[in-house]
Amino acid sequence: MTGQGPARRRRASRLHPVRIAVLTLFCLLLSGTAGAAAYFFPVVVAGVGQTGQTVVVPPSRSQGTASTPMPSAAPGAPFTVLLLGSDDDGKNKSPLTQSMILVRVDPASKHVTMLSIPRDLWVPLSTGGSAKIDAAYDYGGAAAAIATVERNFHVHIDEYAWVGLKGLIKLIDRLGGVDVLVSNPVLDDEYPNDINGGFLYGYMRIAALPGFQHLDGTHALQYVRSRHNDINGDFGRSARQQQVLLAIKAKASTLNAADLPDIVETLKGNFTTSMGLDRVRSLLGVATAFDLANVKQIVLFVPTYTSYDRGAAYGGQSVVVPHWSQILAVTRANFP
Amino acid sequence: MILRRIAAILFVPVMLAFGSGVYLYLGTLKSKVVQERPQLPTVTKPKFVLPGTMFVVQEGRLFKLEAGSFTEIGPGGEWSQPTLTPDHTKLVAVLRTGFSSDLYLMDLGGHVLKRLTKNDSRYIDYNHWAFYPRISPDGASVMYSFDSPKVNGVDLAVWSMPLNGAQWQARRWTDPYSHTGGDVSPIPLASGGLLFVRHSIDSSTVVHSQIYFQSRALGVATPLTPEADDCSQATLSPDGTQVAMVCTHGKQSASLEIASFNGSALGAPQVLVDGGLYASPAWSPDGKALAYFGPQGLAGHFQLWWLPLPVAATPSPSIAAAPSTSASARAASTVAPTPAPVQVTEGVDLSATSPPAWF
Repeated sequence: MTGQGPARRRRASRLHPVRIAVLTLFCLLLSGTAGAAAYFFPVVVAGVGQTGQTVVVPPSRSQGTASTPMPSAAPGAPFTVLLLGSDDDGKNKSPLTQSMILVRVDPASKHVTMLSIPRDLWVPLSTGGSAKIDAAYDYGGAAAAIATVERNFHVHIDEYAWVGLKGLIKLIDRLGGVDVLVSNPVLDDEYPNDINGGFLYGYMRIAALPGFQHLDGTHALQYVRSRHNDINGDFGRSARQQQVLLAIKAKASTLNAADLPDIVETLKGNFTTSMGLDRVRSLLGVATAFDLANVKQIVLFVPTYTSYDRGAAYGGQSVVVPHWSQILAVTRANFP
Repeated sequence: MILRRIAAILFVPVMLAFGSGVYLYLGTLKSKVVQERPQLPTVTKPKFVLPGTMFVVQEGRLFKLEAGSFTEIGPGGEWSQPTLTPDHTKLVAVLRTGFSSDLYLMDLGGHVLKRLTKNDSRYIDYNHWAFYPRISPDGASVMYSFDSPKVNGVDLAVWSMPLNGAQWQARRWTDPYSHTGGDVSPIPLASGGLLFVRHSIDSSTVVHSQIYFQSRALGVATPLTPEADDCSQATLSPDGTQVAMVCTHGKQSASLEIASFNGSALGAPQVLVDGGLYASPAWSPDGKALAYFGPQGLAGHFQLWWLPLPVAATPSPSIAAAPSTSASARAASTVAPTPAPVQVTEGVDLSATSPPAWF
C-alpha cells in the first residue's frame, strides 16, 4: 500500500492529453467568444438602448379604454412600420416630423408598400385638438404620432422607427453613398441651414442637378428635404424621400452581420425603434430579396387625395386638407 | 506543478491573441459597400487606354486623362462640367463657391485665364447659379444655364454671352416652365440654333425631361423627343449628324440611345444599352464611340465606360422627321447590335453630372 501512494499522486498530477486538449479548446473558445463579444458590444448596447423601445399608445378619447402597449404581429406575418424623420436641430423641444412614411412589409411575399403622409396634413391629434400631423411627435413623441396616424388612417401600426437628419447623413455616408436618379433640377433658395450649427432659422441655397448620380449623405439629405421650388411642394419631397429610402434599402441588402457595429455606431443617438432584433432581421431578409417591382409607392397628391387650404379654421396656417374617403380607400386596400 | 503553471501563464497571451484575432477577423467580413471608398483617379490605372484627351471631375477636382493616365489640373475648389473651346485650346468650367457658381475660362493645364461670370452676393437671394457651359461652334459665345430671372421660384434658363465679353452682355434664350428646375444642357448649333433639355410637368404632376430645338433666342421651342421617353443629357456628334442621349422612360433605370439629327429634327432612336444607370454620354473625337458614366458593382461609384458604336448608320431623320410627342414613337426605336461596353476606370468616383470633355 505504501508503495502505491506516490505513484497515484504522480498520475493525478499529470494531466491526460485529452484533458489538455479539452482545456485548450475551452480556453480558445472562451477567448474567441470574448473577441466576438467585444466586436458586437456596440450592437448589444444599441439593442438595449435603441431597439425594442416600448411605446404605450394612448387610448382614443371616444373609446375610453386604457393605454395599451403596441401589440406586435406574429413572426413571419406582414407588419406595418411608421417611419419618422425629424429635423433634430433643436428648433423645438421635441422635434417635428418632417417625414412620415407608413411601410407595410410582407416577409413571405417580399412585398413592400410605402405611403407618405404629408407633414402639413390637418388632422385631429391623439393628444387633443387639431394641428398639422407633424406636430404629433412634438406633443407626445412616438406614441402620439402612432396613435394619430392609426386613428385618422384606420390602420394598425406594429412598429415605429425614428431617425434624425444627422443620422440619415451618417447612415448614407457609412453605406458609401446612394445612387439616385434626380429627375429634374432641384433648386432651393430657402433651404434650412440648420445642420452644422449657427443660426437655426438661417437658410441657404442648394442645387441638385438632374441625372443619375452618386450622392453622399449631405447631398442626399438636401435632395429629400428641399421643397420650396418643387411644384408639388411637400408631395414632391415625399416622392424623393421614398426614392432615397429605396436606394438605401438597395445598399442595405449587401450588408451582413459584421457590418452591424459600424451601422449602430453611425446611428448612435439619431435612431430609435420599437423593433426588436428579430424584427430587424426580418426586415434585412426583405432587403436582401429586394426587387423594385415588389415595392408599391403611394403619395397623397393634390387634388385626388388632398387639397391646399389656408384660413382662420387652420390658425392662418397653410395646410393640406385630407380627402378622407379617397385616402381611406387606399389605406384599406394596402394596409389591411 | 511548476511546469503546469508556466504553461498556463504562457497560454494567456495565446488566448489574448486568439480573442483579438477573432475580433479582427470579424472586421474583415464587413461587406465591400461599407469598406469600399473611392480612390483618386491619379493613383489608379485605367483598364483601357482611350484615344485623345479627356477631362473629367471627381469631388470638385479636375482631372485630365491622356495616354492611359490621369493628371490633376486646376486650382482647388469645387469644379465641375468642363467643356472645350472648338479649337481645343481652352476649357470653360464651373466653380461653385458658397451659394453660387461661376464660369471660368482656363487653359488645358487648368490655369484660370478669366472669370466669365460673377454670381456671388452677400445677400443670399441675389446669388445665382451658372451651369452647363458650352461654347458655340464659332467659338464666339458661351451658352449656359442660369437661374435668372427669379420671378416664380428658381428655375434655370439657357443664356448666351460673348466668350470675350462681359456678363452684362448675356442674353436669355429660353423661357422655362416655372418650378420645374428649368432648362439645362444647352448645345449651340452651327446653324445658330440650340438643342437643350427642358423639364415639364404633366397633368398628373409627373415631371418629364425632353430634348428641344430652338432656332433663335426666345423663339418657339420644339420638342424632339416624346414626353414619355424622358430623354435628357443630349450630346452632339463631332460631325453634327447624330445625337446621343439618356432616356429613362419613367423608370429608375435608363437606356443609352442615339438618333440621327438633321439640324432641326431627330431620326428614330437606336437603343445601344438598356437597364442601367447611364449618365453624361460624350462622343469620341472620331465619332465612332461613346464614353459615359455608370456605377461599378454594389458600391455604386460611377466609373467611365467606353462603348464602340454599331457600324450601321442610324436611320435618317427623314424617316421619322416630325418630332413626335406620342408614345408610339417608341415603336420606331430599335435595339442595335452594339458591342459590349468596356469599363475604363476602376475604384474611382467620377462626377456623373459633369459630362467628359473629349478631343
